[in-house]
Amino acid sequence: MTRSAGAVGWSQTATAWAFLAPALFFYCVFLVYPMMESLWISLFKWDGMAATKVFVGLDNYRRVFFEDEVAQRALWNNLVWTLAALVFPTALGLALAMALDTKIKGVVVFRTIFYGPGVLPLVAVGLIWAWMYNPHFGAVNTVLKLMDMRHLTRGWLSRYETAFWATFITYLWSHVGFPMVLYLAGLQAIPKELYEAAEMDGAGAWKRFVHVTLPGLKEAHVIVLSLAVIHALKVFDLIYTMTYGGPGQSTQVLGTWMYFQSFQYYNAGYGAAIAWVISAIILVIAIPYIRHQTKA
Amino acid sequence: MRIFGWIVAAAAGALALAAAPAEAQTKLRFFTNFDASAVRIWQPILDAYEKANPNVKVTMETVAGSGAAIYPDVLRTSMAAGDPPDVFFMWGGEIAGPFIDAGQVMDLGAIYDKHGWKQRMTPWTVDAITRNGKIWGVPFNARGMGFFYRKDIFAKHKISEPKSYAELEQVCETLKKNNVYCASFGGKFGWHPMRLLDYFIETACGPDMHNKLNRLEASWDSACAVDAYGRLKKWVDRGWLVPDFLSVTPADARMPVYLGDAAMIIEGDWFEFVVRGDKQSSANLDFFLPPTGHQPLRYSAFPHQWMIPAKAKNPEASAHFIDFITSPGLQKQFPAAFLASATVGIEPDCKEWPITCKWRQIITTSRDIYPPTDQAFTKELMDGFFEVQSGIIAGKIAPADGGKQMQAKAEAWKATKK
Repeated sequence: MTRSAGAVGWSQTATAWAFLAPALFFYCVFLVYPMMESLWISLFKWDGMAATKVFVGLDNYRRVFFEDEVAQRALWNNLVWTLAALVFPTALGLALAMALDTKIKGVVVFRTIFYGPGVLPLVAVGLIWAWMYNPHFGAVNTVLKLMDMRHLTRGWLSRYETAFWATFITYLWSHVGFPMVLYLAGLQAIPKELYEAAEMDGAGAWKRFVHVTLPGLKEAHVIVLSLAVIHALKVFDLIYTMTYGGPGQSTQVLGTWMYFQSFQYYNAGYGAAIAWVISAIILVIAIPYIRHQTKA
Repeated sequence: MRIFGWIVAAAAGALALAAAPAEAQTKLRFFTNFDASAVRIWQPILDAYEKANPNVKVTMETVAGSGAAIYPDVLRTSMAAGDPPDVFFMWGGEIAGPFIDAGQVMDLGAIYDKHGWKQRMTPWTVDAITRNGKIWGVPFNARGMGFFYRKDIFAKHKISEPKSYAELEQVCETLKKNNVYCASFGGKFGWHPMRLLDYFIETACGPDMHNKLNRLEASWDSACAVDAYGRLKKWVDRGWLVPDFLSVTPADARMPVYLGDAAMIIEGDWFEFVVRGDKQSSANLDFFLPPTGHQPLRYSAFPHQWMIPAKAKNPEASAHFIDFITSPGLQKQFPAAFLASATVGIEPDCKEWPITCKWRQIITTSRDIYPPTDQAFTKELMDGFFEVQSGIIAGKIAPADGGKQMQAKAEAWKATKK
């Protein structure tokens, strides 16, 4: 018995849908529906608990950009954080990857050490580093005192000038391992012959890095930089646990400000609007990344 | 086939027997901010309740460690999800306010009459939890706060308890000259140094004006409020406070006092219990009410309360449970859990808990209290208050500007609520 091409095609499509349906169901229930619900909520003034909501249209979005000074500060902090996250963890990750791209004894141990912080929960990382930064008994100031550098000791998280960057150093510590691993994989995929040819042509170490290594890591760059931006824009845990947005509101980022608005100030509608601002920014970056990945 | 039928029937019977008590059992979720030591003390009370009420199973759920900073968020999430606990712990004032205003808390007026709770409780505690003329909770603790100090440090430097604000400044100056910080605070969540600023406001403005400021009926830009900000700045600038404390947690702020680097800390009647929990000696501690120079001499105090959600699955069982845990008979059986009880006639063992006992005498006899600002303001306005407070402490905001900024925040907040 033979079946027509159309029937076979339909059968394959039905099979594909049958396999996809469970995942699609959970995706819709746990991601798409809550997202659409939060988009709807962002158009209301609502405390998140009461039965009634007041429709305010796009007013919550207007407040984010034109009225709420803390939201604007948070947006700026997100921007600075993201730029820093693009530069420092990636550059350091690349440097570590190149240093560890050898066959010397113990290299696996070093890779594990540098990647290790990346697998720790950020809440735990934040709490540990907050203790390390404690002005009176924290490890950072204690070490500085032991090194006879007492003049450098300070309340790293207490001061407006240092709190943001002290928190970012924690982020750097915990996020350097991931780009390192990706770059390491990329480095190992570059043919050694290219380096040998460049060396024979008289290229020094810097030229080999610029003309062989960097172009050879093109695929890795796309992944590393895209994920760096996405992770940086989503920053929440470290700020929440280490500074709680302070001192003052100096270290607020959109993620924490959204949380404060939604869960502490009972402005669920406004908090949802902030969440959508974060999502929109991430989507602008994520869509080209996803397209690149799916093409690959 | 017949054997198979018997097996099926027996299995069904066994299942029915097993299921019957489970269906009859009432489950109560008891939600608190208890830490590990409080949980240990409370578990026998829950066991006693279950023994007296075999058809009820009580499960304790806790969110500890941040005071009023995180606990209400978790509670609110459970309510928003339609899955509130059956009985929950709550502070008074504006921490409880949003839950009441959103219709998430049961009005207990009728239940009060039924159980005679009003007669059972320290009077001011019921007043303090009344909102819009209705009673929404049952007082559990009556809490007061003051300056705790290290007796050995005071004795060493021949310092006695100050009787006026000027004397308190003298105490700080003497301590500073002897390389001891006057007081320690942890500013991470804002509410710990707020206690000092609250005291300055009470001292600089007096009771009536302080009340008006808390109700936003007077300007925070007024001379006395600016004076209060000025005192906060003075305490920081003179080096009387352990420095760089804005990121320190309130719990960690106790460390300099334990180590003898700081002589004082503003804490409440719970501090004796906390100190012992931290494996420190409380014999070396005493406290005094902050001198304000005003009559009546008011101190910062607040109640804790038990509440029942409006959507509680079994409100009668919840009320019965609250009645059990606030009853004098039960509380006398488990004194360690009720050191600050709002129930009249419950006193701690004064030999075992001398400081707590001294507090009870003040709290149960004096009605002259003012609420901590974080129970007078909503969280949103309170974070504005904390922002100004932090700016003053860090030297980023001058006291006069602090007054202006706080007033601007108060007006902006009022505008959003119209």
